[in-house]
Amino acid sequence: MNLISKISAATILLFSFSSCNAQIKNTKTESVKIYGNCEMCEKTIETAGSVKKIANVDWNKDTKMATITYDSTKTNQDEILKRIALAGYDSDKFLAPDDVYSKLAGCCQYERVNKTAIVSTAVIEDHSMHNQENVVETKQEVNQLKTIFESYFALKDALVKSDGKLVSTLAKDVLANINSVKMEKLSSEEHTVWMKVMSSLKSNTEKIAATTIIEKQRVVFMDLSANFYALLKVSKQDYSIYYQNCPMYNDGKGANWLSKENAVKNPYYGSQMLTCGKTVETIK
Amino acid sequence: MVLQNILSKKLLPIVFLLLVSNNISAQKTVRYDLYVKDTLVNFTGKFKRAIAVNGQIPMPTLVFTEGDTAEIYVHNLLKEETSLHWHGLFLPNKEDGVPNLTQMPIKPNTTHVYRFPIIQNGTHWYHSHSGLQEQIGMYGNFIMLKKSDDKTFRKGIDDLPTVPIVLSEWTDLKPENIHRMLHNANDYPALKKNAVQSYAEAIKAGHFKTKLKNEWKRMLAMDVSDVYYEKILMNGKSITDLSIIDGKELKAGDKVRLRISNGGASSYFWLTYAGGKITVVANDGNDVEPVEVDRLIIAVSETYDIIVTIPAENTAFEFLATTEDRTNSASLYIGNGIKQLKSSQPRLKYFEGMKMMNDMMKMNGDLDDMGMNMSLNQMDMNVVMYPEITGDSKPKQSDNDPNRYNANALADIVTLNYAMLKSPNNTSLPKDAPVKELKFTLTGNMNRYVWSLDNRVISETDKILIKKGENVRIVLYNNSMMRHPMHLHGHDFRLLNGQGANAPLKNVVDIMPMETDTLEFNANVEGDWFFHCHILYHMMSGMGRVFTYENQAPNPLITNPKLAQRKLFADDRKFHFMADNDFATNGNDGMAMLQNTRWSIGSEWRLGYNDMHGYETETHIGRYIGKMQWLMPFIGFDWRYRKMGIDEQEENLFGQVNKKTTELL
Repeated sequence: MNLISKISAATILLFSFSSCNAQIKNTKTESVKIYGNCEMCEKTIETAGSVKKIANVDWNKDTKMATITYDSTKTNQDEILKRIALAGYDSDKFLAPDDVYSKLAGCCQYERVNKTAIVSTAVIEDHSMHNQENVVETKQEVNQLKTIFESYFALKDALVKSDGKLVSTLAKDVLANINSVKMEKLSSEEHTVWMKVMSSLKSNTEKIAATTIIEKQRVVFMDLSANFYALLKVSKQDYSIYYQNCPMYNDGKGANWLSKENAVKNPYYGSQMLTCGKTVETIK
Repeated sequence: MVLQNILSKKLLPIVFLLLVSNNISAQKTVRYDLYVKDTLVNFTGKFKRAIAVNGQIPMPTLVFTEGDTAEIYVHNLLKEETSLHWHGLFLPNKEDGVPNLTQMPIKPNTTHVYRFPIIQNGTHWYHSHSGLQEQIGMYGNFIMLKKSDDKTFRKGIDDLPTVPIVLSEWTDLKPENIHRMLHNANDYPALKKNAVQSYAEAIKAGHFKTKLKNEWKRMLAMDVSDVYYEKILMNGKSITDLSIIDGKELKAGDKVRLRISNGGASSYFWLTYAGGKITVVANDGNDVEPVEVDRLIIAVSETYDIIVTIPAENTAFEFLATTEDRTNSASLYIGNGIKQLKSSQPRLKYFEGMKMMNDMMKMNGDLDDMGMNMSLNQMDMNVVMYPEITGDSKPKQSDNDPNRYNANALADIVTLNYAMLKSPNNTSLPKDAPVKELKFTLTGNMNRYVWSLDNRVISETDKILIKKGENVRIVLYNNSMMRHPMHLHGHDFRLLNGQGANAPLKNVVDIMPMETDTLEFNANVEGDWFFHCHILYHMMSGMGRVFTYENQAPNPLITNPKLAQRKLFADDRKFHFMADNDFATNGNDGMAMLQNTRWSIGSEWRLGYNDMHGYETETHIGRYIGKMQWLMPFIGFDWRYRKMGIDEQEENLFGQVNKKTTELL
């Protein structure tokens, strides 16, 4: 009896020993930078990167350097870094998906030095248009406003997602785009409307940017959408835009917004009442 | 007389010359030589057999311009027969490439020439139509460009930098083996995918009742796909960098057009992009009005043309093709610089799916749509399993919400469905033509992997006669538990999707369980045209029909029609072998079976290790009856032997004694 228990104890010891020392064969060790902040990050990074018997990741939160050890016949650095990025952490090879990053805990929202800002299409098209003077003038007129409309749509999408932080950031984009409009390049029709709505557009967006409380942002968004509607009516775009209405918002008085998609995604209620509403006008 | 002679002598060559020169100026002949050869590939660390054409997988991309004549020489260097089908092309029937139907198979060490005029444009693909060769490498891009003076040329779309991509999957298992395992309801793929859905898992997820009901209805564990694949490939690679197109480096603001064909044998793929929205501009080689979406699913053998934009400097954005069951994916990084990833799609909620299927299936195997009229992929029953649409655990919407399967109503992302496709042109059929309406119910039996139309496989039916000039309308209803991409050869059909005269033209329609779809086409090219499910293993099981024109001229390539038909039918009449054996302390217990669509020949054995344990074997041959095949009358024989010691005879309840000490029948 005694002997049996001794043997089994020895066996258990043996097993536990081998399991905590899960050997990686054909090892290769490298040191790479992974962006992050705290101990919580460390845990996420190491769990995401490590695979039993294939790869092991050890990250240092002070130096931001990770020591990765892996079986070079079974995996490679890219695969490990990709898994870590998919868990929310940038490296010099991969950028984490934005939605995963934004779900990280507050203390883990590290500074994303490797991310390049999304450039608005207008700037690019300006470059490519330099050699065709005739086209430049007319194109730019459309594009200046197009940039603003695009930033409006991004703002609207963030409202649909009920993400107050994102809405505030995007409102700053809209404001920047409004400020950079060169009025002399607008068509006369556009110019007239622009003069009417410009100051309220500015104050609307400033208000939205100033808060992260989604309810407050939505109230201002009503006004903003009305002004954008007026502007859009006189400015020709190369795709259809849908003017949509939610009959319930604003104490049952209803509220409108603009969308590039015919399918209704309600920015006033988000997931609470996502498809409430209908298209009232299609602007071509 | 003399004059006539001179005339004919002098004029003839002139006329002849005229004709020839005319030909040269009118059309360009584009020739490709394809050498089909056995090869070994290593996608997973192990060398496996595959088929390469001109030394590569996928097969070379073939490019033509509308108006060209294609001349494709196929040199078969394999030890087996082969064929090539030009998917979605309008061509004479004898060039369609279906062995034993439109031509005889290309024998080993022979050359076959396909020659046909290119009379359309768009993104298509080509593949072997012989056996399971498509699974192991025989697929490739087939691109037909618009002429530069084409009236339908779209600025900002047709002049963008373009890359053709054929999607496919790779498995280390031999395709014949997969086919056999599917027919015997093997758990192997589910084990590999960690998707077995055992009782233990069910209890953990609080779905014990769901699992019990599922077993009672004799359903197999729920899944959206049957086969486990080790690798997903885009043009033969699971990771591709796309930083240069036509010698020009991609930069921020650039738009790229991807011509995507799904050359997978049985996988549907979700397409998503890290750099924003995807603009869909064509489907199955036909232009559609541009439509912006967040994601789309591409059915087996469909093609989509999409446009993506590179939104930032110094960044490559991930374009992701993920299998429908989300177990695997392939990536394309578009642009230069650090790689911006797209979040991977979360794991499926299998028990929600199982519950949904339980609710839908009646005991007789029919599906119950509970009063919802479903079509055009707008309602996706599978959304109950998608965490990104219905949340992470149990669904919150109620059981009678009319939108409970409508992905676009449930989430803030836009998913493409067929109702959103609109042709830029009027596609209506000739008004005065007679209409022939045909109805098919898609049927299947998951346990025995029998897939059919109206419960009949190809070999059990006659060809369907249609008349040249008439409009053929087909109504499809899917009464099986899987989705099926139904493909028509040689014609594009209009999918009636609520867009009126601008209904989109397609040659594949994906139809989900319980959906009804209507399609119509004008019968304008004589021949024998295959209409079948494009999931390779469903097609090989006999899920299809052949359309044929009344009083058509015989196909010169089919010299012996009787023989050809027998060989065609052999595909779904094939018997599949299975065996299992239980090694127990008191003997061996096992069975072996040979089965096909209707017949089963089986043998069981119970063999002891000595005479005292006894031996028994039983053999029977039977035929499965009815749609669900729950009954199988059979005849057979039984042989037993067991030697007991003296006075050891067991007596049963009725006082009977076993006297079988020698063999008895």
